Amino acid sequence: MKDRPAPSALAAVRFDPGDRPESLRNLTGATKYLDDLPEPANLLHAAVVPSPSGHGRRMRVDASKARELDPSVVVLLAASIPGENQMGTAVDDEPLLADGEWHYAGQPVALVLASSKRLARAAAALVRVTGEELPVVTDPREAFARGELILKPRVQSSGDLAGAFRAEAAGGKARWIVEGRAESDGQEHVYLETQGAIAEPVDGGLRVVSGTQAPSGVQKAVARVLGVPMRELEVEAMRLGGAFGGKEDQAAPWAALAALGAYVTGRPVKLVLSRRDDMRMTGKRHPYSTDFRLALDAEGNFLGLELDFYQNAGAACDLSPAIIARSLYHAAGAYRIPAVRAAGYMCRTNLPPFTAFRGFGAPQAIWAMEAAVSKAAEVTGIPALELQRRNLLREGDLTHYGMKMEDCRAGRAFELLLSRNPAARLEAEIEDFNASHADRKRGSWVIPLAFGVSFTKLMMNQGGALVHVFSDGSVSVSTGAVEMGQGVGRKVLVVAARTLGIPEDLVRIERTRTATVANTMPTAASTGSDINGAAALAACEEIRKRLLAFAATFLGAPDNELSLGNGLVLRGGRDSGLAWKDLVAKAHEARVDLSAHGFYATPGLSYDMKAERGSPFAYHVYGAALVVAELDTLRGSSRIVRADLVHDGGVPIDALVDRGQIEGAFAQGLGWAILEDLVYGKDGKLLSDTLSTYKLPDMRFMDFPIDIELLDDAANPKAVLGSKAVGEPPFQYGIAGYFAVLEALKAARPGKAGFFDLPLTQEKALDFLDGGN
Amino acid sequence: MLKSLRFRLNGKLVEIEGREEQPVLDWLREEAGLTGTREGCREGDCGACLALLGRRNLEGTGIEWVSAATCLLALGELDGRALVTVEGLAGEGPTPVMKALHVENASQCGFCSPGVAVALSHFLLAEGPRDEAAAVASVEGNLCRCTGYASIGRAARALSSDFSGLPLDFPTRLAALAARGVIPPALAATMQDLPEPASAGGPGGSPPLGGGTDWYVRNTDPAPGLSPRFVGRDPELRFIETRGSGEGATVALGAGVTVADFFASEAVRAIAPGIERFEVLVASPHIRARATLAGNVANASPVADLTAMLLALDARLVLSGASGARELPLADFFLGYKKTALDGDAIIETILLPAAPRAFSFEKAARRERLDIAAVNTALSLTLDPAGAMRGVIVSAGGVGPVPLPLRKAAAALEGRKPSVAAFREAMLAARDEVAPISDVRGSAEFRKRVLGRLLAAHALRLFPGAFTAEELLA
Repeated sequence: MKDRPAPSALAAVRFDPGDRPESLRNLTGATKYLDDLPEPANLLHAAVVPSPSGHGRRMRVDASKARELDPSVVVLLAASIPGENQMGTAVDDEPLLADGEWHYAGQPVALVLASSKRLARAAAALVRVTGEELPVVTDPREAFARGELILKPRVQSSGDLAGAFRAEAAGGKARWIVEGRAESDGQEHVYLETQGAIAEPVDGGLRVVSGTQAPSGVQKAVARVLGVPMRELEVEAMRLGGAFGGKEDQAAPWAALAALGAYVTGRPVKLVLSRRDDMRMTGKRHPYSTDFRLALDAEGNFLGLELDFYQNAGAACDLSPAIIARSLYHAAGAYRIPAVRAAGYMCRTNLPPFTAFRGFGAPQAIWAMEAAVSKAAEVTGIPALELQRRNLLREGDLTHYGMKMEDCRAGRAFELLLSRNPAARLEAEIEDFNASHADRKRGSWVIPLAFGVSFTKLMMNQGGALVHVFSDGSVSVSTGAVEMGQGVGRKVLVVAARTLGIPEDLVRIERTRTATVANTMPTAASTGSDINGAAALAACEEIRKRLLAFAATFLGAPDNELSLGNGLVLRGGRDSGLAWKDLVAKAHEARVDLSAHGFYATPGLSYDMKAERGSPFAYHVYGAALVVAELDTLRGSSRIVRADLVHDGGVPIDALVDRGQIEGAFAQGLGWAILEDLVYGKDGKLLSDTLSTYKLPDMRFMDFPIDIELLDDAANPKAVLGSKAVGEPPFQYGIAGYFAVLEALKAARPGKAGFFDLPLTQEKALDFLDGGN
Repeated sequence: MLKSLRFRLNGKLVEIEGREEQPVLDWLREEAGLTGTREGCREGDCGACLALLGRRNLEGTGIEWVSAATCLLALGELDGRALVTVEGLAGEGPTPVMKALHVENASQCGFCSPGVAVALSHFLLAEGPRDEAAAVASVEGNLCRCTGYASIGRAARALSSDFSGLPLDFPTRLAALAARGVIPPALAATMQDLPEPASAGGPGGSPPLGGGTDWYVRNTDPAPGLSPRFVGRDPELRFIETRGSGEGATVALGAGVTVADFFASEAVRAIAPGIERFEVLVASPHIRARATLAGNVANASPVADLTAMLLALDARLVLSGASGARELPLADFFLGYKKTALDGDAIIETILLPAAPRAFSFEKAARRERLDIAAVNTALSLTLDPAGAMRGVIVSAGGVGPVPLPLRKAAAALEGRKPSVAAFREAMLAARDEVAPISDVRGSAEFRKRVLGRLLAAHALRLFPGAFTAEELLA
């Protein structure tokens, strides 16, 4: 572990060239992803036949043309499934293969197996699916009006709402009540590696290699579909080519289909989706349509907030309840608001089931809250920065769900950002630019952040690890964590090396396998290193304890004087003369157990679902971001020109990993806010179904200066080695991009009211510039 | 169909009977066992499948190396050429390019990393500026969903400064890169010449493919047995030459001329001074290196960027097939949506541009500034007579009808007049009237009309800087 760098030096942090061999393997092309594995000799390739339209029933499947193409082609339908035709985890509403009726365009109907990928795909294209068309609903409010809700609405409330919204004229304190609607569109994950799985019959069971964030979830899903005990299935996740939530629950269908094919044919089966199939068949970030209402007193204090989230859940439940929960928890953003009512409606539409995506419902809520702030600034004339500062969460505040904010760093982050960018200087920077440019206008926005860390589903906050010290002193660490580029393997490795006091190059992080560490939770919710790092820590500590006890006997020293460090047994902090490797060899001879299983269940979590009160999070991650945008008023296009982020990263286990997570999440957030445009037709078909029609950030889009400063003196007692989770929180910084562009638009059309319809595309910008007041 | 093919792969001569229509990406992964080249999108958008392609240069004087999306590259294209994959580059361990990315943690999930390493290796190998902007621009055709690009940008900038003094001349530069390990010396030693092709080129075969960069997007798994005509591989068809002299002089561009050739051409730059600044708005570096001008026209996409430019440059086409050759104005080539005057085995053999210089402007509205298909594009060219009146005005627009359109009414509104707010406003109004866009995934009809007017205003502001303001034009 290198020392934590001074914050200002974060941009200059580099790996030592010897560090992180897996990164060099990636860059030389040596890393194997699922589709790179050597193929077994008798492998069958699979392709999926999708439903033909957004909604229908009395489905008929005609595979005769596919079989004519090649008689060896195998076509499997719902009836071929030996166990339950069901993928739903929270609600049983998601068949693996559509049976009789279908509920979205792209829903899997049949599995086609053939001797080559090309043949499987060609045959799949020849399978004809017909039936009776039914009306298609794509809009969540329309679904709501029709009563198409998944589960019951969820409502959190706190304080005296009626009192908060009582106008001054009526004897209340509310000088202003601002309200509006905030629309936010979905977002495609675009993990560079598409979904896939390989299933192979082994020893009477199946071995499944799955591109999943949740190997145990896949194991459970496949067991259910095949009707076999989980022990017959070993699921392994290799390094993933990106996931971002898209492979949390939604990797399971592809693994289940491959397993179904292998089960039926007795041959290994590989299913890798084409980009277009992946985009059409899988869920994305949930679109939301949100009503907001915010009451402010004469000074600009937030008195009350009402948010109604109409979540477009798509055609099945999937993870929507957990996602709406996170929306509700983040309804008030980083603000203290004494009275809140937040309601979430999971609206069933005829779109693919929307699913986990970095932020997991929080971005949609924070976006709506920030829209309310923008509107409030517009209506009250109080600068947004002042409203934000005045209403930021403070130490000891109770959230609307009853969690006490402890070690709250919202203010620290915000003030540090403003000390780097004083409000007056920022204002002058923008105004000077705008005064001196006729065809370009700049706008800026600061967004504060408080992001709760823990799975919103309480039972998921657990994890295991298995650590072996081999007799030569090298170490193998297995956990439930799946590496997908987020650096969890690196972090677990550092935890193990530090705990055992040995050099990092003695430690190997194993692939994630269900037979090694069982009943694991998805690597998700930013908790990968918190949970798996802590489980690895527990296992390493157990081994350390045993080894030190042995060393005490061996050296004849009291064990409270001994410790492990620098690859040595230390006595009173100094070399005892016993090196790690010798210690291990001698302990092994002395029949000391050199393996240990570690387990971690995040402590301190509790939540009463009925009362909607509790402490669902281990802690919060804080931060603040400034984004400056520049609008071309002639063309209506805009780009980001600079950003400054202050982030509470705890004490990073690896500052480079955290920097990469912050930069990457920020880019995704900006993409969601102002670039990426997920377009479904009224018929429920995805129009932006390729990378030539769905544009995500590229080098040019992100080529602007980004400063990042980590909060100093920020150790976090609630997570491993004082660190903080980093995967999702910085995504929210990108939301500032929307409002920065909006401010630029408002500079071009002074006095015109803003609009809240994310993403802020050129088309919407031109509507604003050309439209009336 | 199966053809004898001879090419060099990572320095070694390969002689196979190969499916000429098969994407090189599939051959590499499934038959050559080289899995570092990856499929991210199969439409040339993500750059995960980049490899270096060695081919004869435009002048025919030597070899040039381009970065190519192998998902859009037919195996048959390799005959008589050379290919270097990430495995070849890393043959003796991580290169300085890979290490530069590594120390910045610019590889997270790592799936796109080989493509990024290939693109930056190409940046060092290729001709052209070696400054930071060029380094960053070299990865504009690579998508990465993990890093947010900041670390890739830092690595690119570091490479541009570490390698700022590279020799200009190719053999010396190649030797310098070999000496510094950017390319393994043994591999570099093979990179200055090409093997003889195993099969004869020339006419025959269908479909005709320029670079195939558009065709393969629409035909991701071509059926075995297909035998394309690789127009872009034919050295006879890759030429840029000035024909005739004086007023009637033309610049002739052969069917194999790539988009990159076009923008690099002195003859083209002499016709439309400053045209090279618009190059970055078209596709990405690795697509521009292989996509042909003729292919851009022949595909008849209503939003083809190059076609919009060529229309405004008053291009004529020479179509040539078994039944002979004929010449027609580009504007007459398009008969309807994706319908053209090409029939039978005919190809666009030559594109002719009048050689007289013209003031030129190009504008494009797209979701993303780089590597995106236009919602609307437009080009405008004109000359000024001695009295300062606009003459020979041509306005073109794409994305506002079923085919790329000359906007004749808009041009007429300008013709013979001195540049003025009134003239351009009339042209903008006329343009709105003569187009009939549709709504699709790239924008609504109303947006397209609206943005077209603004892009015409942008032409006016670019061609006559300081003469009027955007506000006046849009008022």
